[in-house]
Amino acid sequence: MRNLLNFLERYNNLIIFLILEGIAVYFLATRNYYHNTRTVNSVRRLTYGFEENISNMRSYFRLHEINENLASENTALRNSINRLVRNSSSVFFSVSDTIYQQQYQYTTARLTDNSVNKQKNFFIINKGTRHGLEKDMAIIADGGVAGVIVGCSENFSVAMSLLNLDFRVSARIRSNGYFGSLSWDGRDYRKATLSDIPQHVVFSIGDTIETTGYSAVFPEGVMVGTVTDFEKPGSDFYTITVLLKTDYRKLHFVDVVDNKKKKELIELDKQIQ
Amino acid sequence: MINSILRFSLIFILLVLLQVLLFNNIQFSGYVNPYIYIIFILLLPVEIPSWLLLILSFCMGMVIDFYSGSPGMHSSASVLAGFVRPFVLRFISPRDGYEPGASPSMLIYGFRWFLFYSLTIVIIHHTALFYLEVFRFTDFFRTLLRVMLSSLFTIIFVLIIEFYRRGR
Repeated sequence: MRNLLNFLERYNNLIIFLILEGIAVYFLATRNYYHNTRTVNSVRRLTYGFEENISNMRSYFRLHEINENLASENTALRNSINRLVRNSSSVFFSVSDTIYQQQYQYTTARLTDNSVNKQKNFFIINKGTRHGLEKDMAIIADGGVAGVIVGCSENFSVAMSLLNLDFRVSARIRSNGYFGSLSWDGRDYRKATLSDIPQHVVFSIGDTIETTGYSAVFPEGVMVGTVTDFEKPGSDFYTITVLLKTDYRKLHFVDVVDNKKKKELIELDKQIQ
Repeated sequence: MINSILRFSLIFILLVLLQVLLFNNIQFSGYVNPYIYIIFILLLPVEIPSWLLLILSFCMGMVIDFYSGSPGMHSSASVLAGFVRPFVLRFISPRDGYEPGASPSMLIYGFRWFLFYSLTIVIIHHTALFYLEVFRFTDFFRTLLRVMLSSLFTIIFVLIIEFYRRGR
């Protein structure tokens, strides 16, 4: 008994250190605790007013830029309306909505928290389950890929940013349709890497990279960025550096994309497997 | 006693605010992320019991984790920093021992002593933190570069704050 007490007295610091370190590593290992709805809720409650104020202030300072973005988006939308109007006047166009069922629905949300300087970046948007958001919905900003929702609370959602080592999205070269896997390597917040493009494919610097729509998360044809550089490592595939369209440091308003046919797709997938 | 509890609580809050509002937003090309909250662990009195030091380091890490959404990362790194601090202090103790009740400061023990003390702990803390963040050993040297650059910046801020304390 005395030996035990002596032991405890001698090594009590080490024991406390190991216990605390154990708790920390436990949190670290069960990473989902941050995505857990309850935790997000309680963290939000603690920091809500605070971050809301900062976010408001930031949006005030960026009004000019946001206006410009909105104006350019307006022009783009107006252009596409023109195209649609012309289409509808053509003879073969059908207006019946049972054929042109809307597959994707968009909702606007605002960021309340964002980071770009870590290896695993997440951001938080100010809409949640109450607004119909769910896990695995895609997030688009200024017409470019921004991230995927990984957890929702009642009023907020946490999204994994493209700037996260765990993020993968299926992307293709617009000019020839060859697709590969796009990920971030943790270096530059403006650049991502597209891999798995075979070496016989012809493309050039400046080509557009867009999403494929194979994953049922992102709609088809959302722009990711442009090719800035490519190299041939030892293997049969190119490693392409992509300059991202979205500037994650200026991320402020985002569109959340709800795929109305996702369930159908997933069920079909399950049936086949 | 009450006085110093109050003082360190204030330092705690101030450092958390500085870290969360200012330094978490700093970025130079993804290589420099100073974590200045470590100053709290550096400045605690020399004679603080080790268990209290460990628990305070853990709390500091937890609070930073909470605000930066990185479960366990900062807690784990700062508990490690709190654990090695007594060893570092013993290793570089001045010839006539430490003054009772004083914080490790540049004013009493000199610039070189303080630089060595803070550099050792900051580098240990940052190494643990950045490797935990990446959680793999590919790109080993790039992470090492991040550790070095961020430590350098953290040290600069630590020294600026220490000079300010000295000036008062």
